Amino acid sequence: MFLPYLESERIAKKYAHAPDAPLTAPFALIEKVKGAMVLMAVDREAAHLGLGPGMKLADARARVPDLKVFDHDMLADAALLNQLADACLRYTPMVSACPPNTLLLDISGCTHFFASENALAEDAEDRFDQTGYSLSWALAGTPDAAIALAHHGLREGAEAQLPISALAMDDKTHRALERAGLYHIGDLAERPRAALVTRFGLLLAVRLDRIMGVEDRPIDPIRKLANVTTERRFAEPLTHIDFAISCLEELFVEAARQLEERGQGARMIRMMLFRCDGNIARLAIETAPATRDAALFKRLLKERIEALNDPLNPGFGYDLIRLSIVATDALEIEQYRLEGGEDKQGNQAALVSQLSVRLGRAQVQHFMPADSHIPEQGLLALPALDSGPPKAWDMPKAGEPPMRPLHMFDPPQHIKVLAEVPDGPPYRFTWRRKTHRVSRYEGPERIASEWWQRRDGQQAGKGGLTRDYYRVEDIRGRRYWLFRHGLYGMEKTNPDWYIHGLFA
Amino acid sequence: MIAEQGRSNTCIKNVTGTSHVKSQAHSALLLDLFSIFSILEQIMNIIDSNILEKFGAEKSRMLANGTAKHFTFGDTAIDAALCGETYNPGLPLAQLHEIHTAEPEDSSSAAALTLLLAARARMAADTPEQPIAWVRDCGEARRQGRLYPPGLVELGINPDHILYIDAADSIAVLRAAADAVRCAPIGAVIVELAGKNPKGLDLTATRRLSLSAKKSGVTAFMLRSKAAPMPSAAYSRWQVAAAPSKALAANAVGHPVFDIILMRHRGGLDGLNARLEWNRETRSFQEAPDTSVVPALSGIRTDREKIRARA
Repeated sequence: MFLPYLESERIAKKYAHAPDAPLTAPFALIEKVKGAMVLMAVDREAAHLGLGPGMKLADARARVPDLKVFDHDMLADAALLNQLADACLRYTPMVSACPPNTLLLDISGCTHFFASENALAEDAEDRFDQTGYSLSWALAGTPDAAIALAHHGLREGAEAQLPISALAMDDKTHRALERAGLYHIGDLAERPRAALVTRFGLLLAVRLDRIMGVEDRPIDPIRKLANVTTERRFAEPLTHIDFAISCLEELFVEAARQLEERGQGARMIRMMLFRCDGNIARLAIETAPATRDAALFKRLLKERIEALNDPLNPGFGYDLIRLSIVATDALEIEQYRLEGGEDKQGNQAALVSQLSVRLGRAQVQHFMPADSHIPEQGLLALPALDSGPPKAWDMPKAGEPPMRPLHMFDPPQHIKVLAEVPDGPPYRFTWRRKTHRVSRYEGPERIASEWWQRRDGQQAGKGGLTRDYYRVEDIRGRRYWLFRHGLYGMEKTNPDWYIHGLFA
Repeated sequence: MIAEQGRSNTCIKNVTGTSHVKSQAHSALLLDLFSIFSILEQIMNIIDSNILEKFGAEKSRMLANGTAKHFTFGDTAIDAALCGETYNPGLPLAQLHEIHTAEPEDSSSAAALTLLLAARARMAADTPEQPIAWVRDCGEARRQGRLYPPGLVELGINPDHILYIDAADSIAVLRAAADAVRCAPIGAVIVELAGKNPKGLDLTATRRLSLSAKKSGVTAFMLRSKAAPMPSAAYSRWQVAAAPSKALAANAVGHPVFDIILMRHRGGLDGLNARLEWNRETRSFQEAPDTSVVPALSGIRTDREKIRARA
């Protein structure tokens, strides 16, 4: 599907709602290229007046004095194209956006709801027309053929009439071919292939094969194919959010049944609510264990909807609701004992999923041992949703007091310390405007920096500062973990002190 | 009730049987009577079921009290002191217990004591592998420092058993905690809330936690620092301060020692205090000798005040 006036129609749509400054054609979108203002896109009327992309603004103004101009915004156009590509997901899951203004739909086997492939394409054209985008489409066996045909406004079977420029090679090749008297793809296809390859390279032959439908290429869909997809279409759009939610629940039950047959459970569920004006609301739910439990899904969905920043707005109603299970895990069919009983593991995992959905997946954590001697690396915590097999922790020696604090400051907090030079223990320190007198201490525990992480770290003075840690207790009985940052006189003339943690 | 209703029905039937030819107004009255009867019946049903429910709940509560499990500190003196009238040493499981810091600087000690009590509660409930959910608001984590897993190992707690939940504000903390307490396969729940009067924390919130704890059997701990005294539905309230440790060789810092005071107790045992030292190997608390700093010359100094008093 080729949208020739995508850029200008975006501007036209933007100004359609501004009554004080009605937009009158012709207009063009311009960008500064090498110091000159160049037309990047024009609207339909300007195109009829003979203007086109690549023309200098001064030349265009000379031809059409009342030409209006706007800035060309490539990002906005790309975003719009992606949005339109999403809207096309109602026809097929395999949609690919080819910037700047082409959409590629793989509709093989997707025509159940339409009489034929042509009917499907016409339906798409109607919908685009209603939203204010003009469209030219073509059906073909291969993506390249379809793109070339749509760009030149031809229908399937007319590949031979395509001009040479449909090959999308460089200008030099196009000119050389035309100079040889080959103006159409058809002319080229009749020629012996070997001579073309020796003259113009292999790429030409590949492109030619793709357009002629001899060779296929896979398309890159904007959304990856889901394991299970269930959807529901409505003749009359759903305007109430509760109905949409209950519909999602029914869809999940359907999907769960399919998963059950495969011995799988859902880990990641994506939901799309297609509003009839083209807007799409997306929801995603991730669960800690694989699940097929509809009650849990209901609860998580409720949490998800409550946690949304901008609430769901059905507007004129949803006409298609789709639920896809994107990630799955093996989940055997379970049987409870006859007398009933509680699924303990399941309950706990359900709590993790629920809290992760509500608070965000990074907020519900479990701890992981870190493979490093640098103390702050030990703070490693991963989302509890991604729980792996437990790893062994370093066990402390029996009878020893705790050598590591219960709470750690990251980053460490600066303190003022009175200590003996060069490497004496702290005698008194000031933290958060309170002075603490040290009554007991143990140390230093010397922790070297990761010199191998630094450039020339093996040379003296370049490997980073060494830390001397002290466990200290003040006279009130509070225990702290302090360190001197840098060795006195060797690494630093006046090392700073920091508090890194609090002991129980 | 049913019999009575049956009787009244037949009565009405008789009436209707004898009054075939009565006016329309009469039949309307009868319809009204019918509706009044049915409403009355519904009301009676509701009252009955409420009474039954209450009675049943009371009974089950009484039963639960009889067999309620307790968890202990592991130190015989304080456990025995906590017996009170229940003849069960220690504190009951499936309840809400509050732990307050004596001063803001004692928050790490209070956190450690809470965690260790939660671990002991989990052991007492015979569920030593079940996770402890620690719900905290992230602002507090920034001020107070983050929980450091190697430090947990040093206290004898496996960090794999901690489910750490970082909520955005106090209301989110309470909500997450309420969900966690309702979840029976959780070993214990620790709710950490800082500040004088966190938003949303009131008698209702604590009561909700306490009731959920009772229902699911999960022991809940509320850890509060800089707290203002406020009514709460907790079973007990402790105040915790760090205490000087017993010095090891070369005046090194020893094992963690806590000063605890029982501020409030449903059995009326408040005022109880102790100085406890945590023993990682036995996973229990033991009484610590008072090693507070004593003036070095006190032994031979004359006690002038005593002399004055004697004179």
